[in-house]
Amino acid sequence: MSVNIFGDQVTEERAENARLSSFVGAIAVGDLVKTTLGPKGMDKLLQSTSTGESMVTNDGATILKSIPFDNPAAKVLVNIAKVQDDEVGDGTTSVTVLSAELLREAEKLVDKKIHPQTIIEGYRIASKAALKQLDSLAVDNSDDSEKFRQDLTNIAKTTLSSKILSQDKEYFAKLAVDAILRLKGSTNLDHIQIIKKVGGKLSDSFLDEGFILDKRFGVSQPKKITNAKILIANTSMDTDKVKIFGAKIKVDATSKLAQLEKAEKAKMKAKVEKIKKFGINVFVNRQLIYDWPEQLFSDANINSIEHADFDGVERLALVTGGEVVSTFDNPEKVKLGHCDLIEEVIIGEDVMTKFSGVAAGQACTIVLRGATDQLLDEAERSLHDALSVLSQTTKETRTVLGGGCSEMNMSKAVEQAAQNESGKKSLAVEAFARALRQLPTILCDNAGFDSSELVSKLRSSIYNGLTGSGLDLNSGDIQDMRELGIVESYKLKKAVVSSASEAAEVLLRVDNIIRAKPRTADRGH
Amino acid sequence: MSAKVSNATFKNKEKPQEVRKANIIAARAVADAVRTSLGPKGMDKMIKTGKGETIISNDGHTILRHMAVLHPAAKMLVDLSGAQDVEAGDGTTSVVVITGALLGAAENLLNKGIHPTLISESFQKAAERSCQILLDMSHKISLSDREVLIKAANTSLSSKIVAQHSSLLGPIAVDSVLKVVKPEANNVDLNDIRLVKKVGGTIDDTEMIDGVVLTQNVIKSAGGPTRIEKARIGLIQFQLSPPKPDMENNIVVNDYRQMDKILKEERAYLLNICKKIKKAKCNVLLIQKSILRDAVNDLALHFLSALKILVVKDIERDEVEFISKSLGCKPIADVDSFTEARLGVADLVEETESSGSKIIKITGVKNVTHPTVSVICRGANNMILDETERSLHDALCVIRCLVKEKALIAGGGAPEIEVSRTLLKEANKLSGVEQLCFREFALALEVIPTTLAENAGLNPIEIVTDLRNKHELGEKEAGISVRRSGATNTYNEHVLQPVLVNTSAITLASETVKSILRIDDIAFSR
Repeated sequence: MSVNIFGDQVTEERAENARLSSFVGAIAVGDLVKTTLGPKGMDKLLQSTSTGESMVTNDGATILKSIPFDNPAAKVLVNIAKVQDDEVGDGTTSVTVLSAELLREAEKLVDKKIHPQTIIEGYRIASKAALKQLDSLAVDNSDDSEKFRQDLTNIAKTTLSSKILSQDKEYFAKLAVDAILRLKGSTNLDHIQIIKKVGGKLSDSFLDEGFILDKRFGVSQPKKITNAKILIANTSMDTDKVKIFGAKIKVDATSKLAQLEKAEKAKMKAKVEKIKKFGINVFVNRQLIYDWPEQLFSDANINSIEHADFDGVERLALVTGGEVVSTFDNPEKVKLGHCDLIEEVIIGEDVMTKFSGVAAGQACTIVLRGATDQLLDEAERSLHDALSVLSQTTKETRTVLGGGCSEMNMSKAVEQAAQNESGKKSLAVEAFARALRQLPTILCDNAGFDSSELVSKLRSSIYNGLTGSGLDLNSGDIQDMRELGIVESYKLKKAVVSSASEAAEVLLRVDNIIRAKPRTADRGH
Repeated sequence: MSAKVSNATFKNKEKPQEVRKANIIAARAVADAVRTSLGPKGMDKMIKTGKGETIISNDGHTILRHMAVLHPAAKMLVDLSGAQDVEAGDGTTSVVVITGALLGAAENLLNKGIHPTLISESFQKAAERSCQILLDMSHKISLSDREVLIKAANTSLSSKIVAQHSSLLGPIAVDSVLKVVKPEANNVDLNDIRLVKKVGGTIDDTEMIDGVVLTQNVIKSAGGPTRIEKARIGLIQFQLSPPKPDMENNIVVNDYRQMDKILKEERAYLLNICKKIKKAKCNVLLIQKSILRDAVNDLALHFLSALKILVVKDIERDEVEFISKSLGCKPIADVDSFTEARLGVADLVEETESSGSKIIKITGVKNVTHPTVSVICRGANNMILDETERSLHDALCVIRCLVKEKALIAGGGAPEIEVSRTLLKEANKLSGVEQLCFREFALALEVIPTTLAENAGLNPIEIVTDLRNKHELGEKEAGISVRRSGATNTYNEHVLQPVLVNTSAITLASETVKSILRIDDIAFSR
């Protein structure tokens, strides 16, 4: 006899069905992004079904964000990737793949009639051992600025080598390190502005100190200003209209209308006069300035830029040390922006305005050039990943080795831990070690090498005490990673291991999936 | 299926290969579509756009932009020709054709089982080397050598509909760029050269005006002058019509006398403005277009014509910057600031009529800090006119390239053959996959001379082999001369192009090939 407990259209999956569904979902997600991992990873072309736009990307988080999933377990992995993206900025694919591999191993253990709670217990022991090993492998070079810079460059190169920028990774790594070192320890990436312009080639991209605004000075104003004092405003420069709907004036003669018009102009002029009192020579407004105030500004030798967008105004305020104002009654209370030189520059076919020698010395602009929009978007994402990893590394200065080296070392430590465990748990600990070994395996597979052979070579080399060994995916053999300069951030690796095992744990605990009634389109009828 | 020694794995996935092949096929289809328009004997394409307009063009970018391409990989090729257009302005067809050929080469290599990232990396290395070879074989020039510049412009024009008129258009393009370029500058802002299109007449009537051309008409309804010598030009941004504040307003009329008063006041108001204009000794008035109210009304026109002031209205706000720059006048936004100092001075402002259309020419401009040039394009119908403008723009871009990178290279497929030959030789010094990739890359570049020959109705095999032979014997500048229907020294034949066009085409093409090869899956997103 069946009793209807749930409402209409609510579905319930139990026990093995629920577990199966979450395993399948997570593994499918892992397989989807698996091929993008590593220096020889491939890209995905994402085609939007609604707008028809296409996007080419190698970034795990971007792929997962754009694809709609219906499986709740898959969504958990998408979230993990997002968190990784927010916290470290890179390693989004690694974290997804590792948790999918952990679940794949768990599935096998469940088949062997091991209780999920036991698996979880084993995974916990394993991840603790792995993190301990990672900690002991980490190297801190922050005392030696020369070496630290080298570390940063290497991290940037490792991150970029898996992206579209790999060809010019030396160049872009230097670019990213220069930009990050300008920030002097701050992790606020807003100071680094990225401008994309179609045309040219990727290696035509450049880093420029200062700030570039995609606007021009007003008509017949000088194109170059030195020692600029900048007032940044968000104000309407037309006649401050009475904002009451249907406000009307009634007059009985044209002359009175002319007087009104004059009064309006006088108001505009009064505002300009107030602004002039600030003793500035550049006025940037978020809104339109109109012809008449613009002319007044030119007459007063003040350069004006109108209609600078929100983003532009805020960044400009940030980098020049000014503030955005909308009332002009107290010049003494307002902080003005400063910069040494403002001039027009031509990038591609467009003329833009460049602010150099800005008050906030750390600010800089990276101009990206490339053949297509897709290429530029992807280049921006790659560079952003590199920048965020680098900025995190300036805080947590320790580094570990890449190329599957850290994973293999952790796997070794986990296997040793398994030997000390008695009982069923040890099986789960061993499984964790196998999952960790999957990462170098995938790296090999993506590069088209024989993974079974290379990974076993790597394993024996590390078990024999060569802890610096890793995969050289260009030549297809085992090399010392420290010599090759394949270095990754400790924080990134740590986040990958800990969040992947947490995600696996969360999904393992599930034994019942209840789906609520889907929201229908015709709500409110 | 193994390219490397340690590559003995079992291939269990078909999908990535399938996806890659589909992308390559789509992209090559686009390249094939524009292939026949390459070169001096290339054919034009007629495109009917969604709006029902008909466009006839030989310009690769224009053709591709109007083709409704759907496949994402094909779209990348359209973007690519756009990038070449921005960077070099010319060679938009070549870049797509080269990309198509490189993709074909990549397909061969993929079939050999070589990993796509290896292919794309080797291609980029080959591209880098090609650019070096091109720069080495180029001839440095100086901007003062007008003759050489004209030859380069003519080469670009020779493949277009206006080829016959290249003796006219080439010098125009060169002179206008030379006029606006600043000495020692490495770039030219082509916005300083204004191309004005007017239907009527023939392409022969196209001319360059040292000054400004306005397409608007002089207003003659009130009998004002149409020709002014020793002109003093004012550019105003205020309106010559009854006042209208921003707020909604009504004039309340109670009786008949009041109406008289209103009319009188209106007259007085306008007369006052017109007098102020005259007082500043202005005799040509350019009025910016206004949305909110009439820029100028009949009454004001009447006063202005009585004061012998030439009036032009409907100047767009976008044009103001250009006009004020080229006439040396400052825009005036209020009648109270209408002063003599803000006016521009020119010898002659004249409305001329030729072949059924009128234009205003302002010549002999004085006191200009920032020189600009206007070119009037003429043609029998809109389609020819548009194509003339595009061709002229391409020619201007060619000259701009020469300002950016002051070196010329022989045209007619000579550089491609030379690069191909050198790369083939150097490939043998490389080992492994790279050698194969360099070879394929080199062979793919021969698509340019082959296509040039095919389009000119010559025997491609004969010509290309002949060229290779000549290059091997040291004639580095041997290329296809369509005039002589065979292989000759194209540098001496004056078939010249800026080296930047070639280098940019090869780098952009190899970058695009890389991003297409890296795709192994197409997923659908929201």
